[in-house]
Amino acid sequence: MRPALVLDRVAKRFGDVVAVDSVSLEVPRGAIYGFIGPNGAGKTTTIRMIMSILYPDSGTITVLDSRNPEAVKDRLGYLPEEKGLYKKMRTAELLAYFGRLKGMRTGEATARARRLLDAFGLGEWADRKSETLSKGMGQKVQILATLIHDPELVILDEPFSGLDPVNVDLVRNVILDVRRQGRTVIFSTHVMEQAEQLCDFIFLIHRGRKVLDGTLRDVRQSGEPCVAVDFDGDGAALQGLPGVRRVNDRGKTAELFLEDGADPQALLKLLVERFRVRRFDLREPSLHEVFIRAVAEKRDA
Amino acid sequence: MRRIFLVAQREFVQNVRTKGFWFGILFFPVMLTAFIAVPQLLERAKSVRRYAVIDESGWLLEAVNARIAANDLRRVLEVAAEAPDRRADGWEVLAPALQESSLMLAELSEEERGALAAALLGGGDGAGLSPLATRVRERYGGDIRAWWDAVSREDLRRLGSDFSFARYVQVPAPDGPDAQAELTRQVSAGELFAYFVLEADPVAGGRASRYVSNNLTDEDLRAWFGYQASSEVRERRLAQERIDPAVARWIQAPLRIEVRKVTATGEEEAIGSRDKLRQWAPVVFVYLLWISVFSVSQMLMMNTVEEKSSRVIEVLLSSVSPVELLAGKITGIAATGLTMVLSWLLVLFFGTKYLPAFFGAPADLELSALASDPLLIGSFLAYFVLGYLFFAAILAGLGSVCNTVSDAQNMMPAIMLVLFVPLLSMVPIGRDPNGALAQILSYIPPFTPFVMMNRAAGPPTMLEYVLTTLLLLVSIVVALWAGAKVFRIGILLTGKPPRLREILRWVRAPVGVVPVRKEDPR
Repeated sequence: MRPALVLDRVAKRFGDVVAVDSVSLEVPRGAIYGFIGPNGAGKTTTIRMIMSILYPDSGTITVLDSRNPEAVKDRLGYLPEEKGLYKKMRTAELLAYFGRLKGMRTGEATARARRLLDAFGLGEWADRKSETLSKGMGQKVQILATLIHDPELVILDEPFSGLDPVNVDLVRNVILDVRRQGRTVIFSTHVMEQAEQLCDFIFLIHRGRKVLDGTLRDVRQSGEPCVAVDFDGDGAALQGLPGVRRVNDRGKTAELFLEDGADPQALLKLLVERFRVRRFDLREPSLHEVFIRAVAEKRDA
Repeated sequence: MRRIFLVAQREFVQNVRTKGFWFGILFFPVMLTAFIAVPQLLERAKSVRRYAVIDESGWLLEAVNARIAANDLRRVLEVAAEAPDRRADGWEVLAPALQESSLMLAELSEEERGALAAALLGGGDGAGLSPLATRVRERYGGDIRAWWDAVSREDLRRLGSDFSFARYVQVPAPDGPDAQAELTRQVSAGELFAYFVLEADPVAGGRASRYVSNNLTDEDLRAWFGYQASSEVRERRLAQERIDPAVARWIQAPLRIEVRKVTATGEEEAIGSRDKLRQWAPVVFVYLLWISVFSVSQMLMMNTVEEKSSRVIEVLLSSVSPVELLAGKITGIAATGLTMVLSWLLVLFFGTKYLPAFFGAPADLELSALASDPLLIGSFLAYFVLGYLFFAAILAGLGSVCNTVSDAQNMMPAIMLVLFVPLLSMVPIGRDPNGALAQILSYIPPFTPFVMMNRAAGPPTMLEYVLTTLLLLVSIVVALWAGAKVFRIGILLTGKPPRLREILRWVRAPVGVVPVRKEDPR
């Protein structure tokens, strides 16, 4: 099957600032693709170019086999980072409007808007103005607006930012649902746990350049293996352990990177002497670690 | 096209639902009603002025009072004369004699009715009356006089005419040497509005009579009483010089033609304003045009800002292109504005026809003719659309760079400065619709719609219409092109709004430097 999205040496400058620098990328159909990177890395600019809100200075973008973004706009669903609703419109009417803009018929859009609102527990808000919605309900409605026309490719820019845990779960389920139906999801985030839980593929962008790109497993394995430890006690005791090259101390948990040839058994023994160990896990590094390392290396370079 | 239509449809439906729209729709009918009704209501609400007169001459007051009474009786005669076709209010109050003589009275001129009223009250031989008036006097005079002496003021009020006693009530002046001091006290205590002291020999005119009041702004009483007194004195002077009454009337005749407008108290303004109406009617349309163009294009600006500040803009842009969005918004709000403006025109057309009658004023044919004048209505609609397009393009561009309503409000003074020019030039252009100022301003596109509307009284030549409209159309195209260019950059901008200089740079910048769309590579 042809990929859902292909970027070929795409670049974008704003004045003197290079926002996206010759990025190439292929997103297969039916995948969940995570765009990660620090603030200002070029995630949003890349996404806006895919949505043809911005146009690249050079390079080509092929979305759903089309080089003409206008032609496929109706088959894309987009949830921007900066999102909002028309405050004075009724919720169902508003959803239907977004559906109609995507080419749905009026009756079909209205019926689907109501069905979605019912399904997400917002049925009684269908005929109220959207300004009466709470923040969380507003976020739900925005996500529904992204999905109302059953887009083949769903692009979510920072979908988890500012969500409470209930809505985080909701968005996660929506993403999984879309994939289950064989459609493609791209989302950007800087919460590594979210990316780790959901993504099939990871694309790490930093200062406009692609740093890492591949399956989640490949990306994680690109980092060095480490030991994850959960413990009760003073994390200061982790410092200066023999055979440990570096420590990511997070208070209750820590990641320890071993020197080549160091024995994990010996380390465990040392740890047990110092404090109560609740978990000891030898594994590949977390995405967080990979991210920090990649960004730090870049900074040093 | 489908998306443009959808955006336009949404704009229209949403705007029509706002309070602001209904305020706009109702604004004009309320203004028009107020314009027609308030003078009438003010007239009715005017408080009664109590005054006293010290008559040192010993005869003038009595003569003036006779004139005042004759004047009021003349009004009764006029009500009777109008009655057959108008079925005046309070018809039943009138004496049977008046009801019967109605048709004959209607035949008389206003002046003849005045003379008849004086003759009915003053007795005498009625030498100066016309034959028809003489017949009325002979047949009905006694009955009318008897009715007039008996009828109460309350009954007369029901006739709805502008009787003097409804506004001015004369109270007797106290006798004795302290009379003036007493009246002065009453005036300062507010018990009396004013008092007159008529000098001993007004016919000689050596000394001034006096009018004493605390209120120096309301001169109606002084003018009204003074006029009655001067008329009387003038007649006495004629008599003293032994000028035959017929000769006197003849001498006065040319003057009376002038006076004729003035003697019908209260109507002198109506006649004056009616003459001026033709000249000044376009000014009303300029006002309406100004208000509608300004408020509707500002509506577009505020909607754009609202889409940005509510962050809905990027969701939209994933479905429509900036140009589609702009075109849809301009169209939708144009439809909103046209609905408002057309409702105004309908109100103007029907209002001027039926409203005056509703408030008991005579239907103003001139006014309703103006309300359906094709030149005025046609240019109003055309200039609304053209003016709106021009300012909409500019305000949408400016609105797109603003993030909050207060950003937009900060920009308004600069726009107001431009928009004030046609308001300030309205009166000078109304006076001289084809003067140099009018001609020059006609060729400055932001002013063209207002100034050309203003000049409709001229009207300008066809060549001027063609040239100014062409220039305006070209400017609209340029404004739309520049507005769209700014809009597609501005709507994605966050943070501090750019300076005007930067916005102009965007407009001039070639495609590619700013994030504008490139041609499809295929």
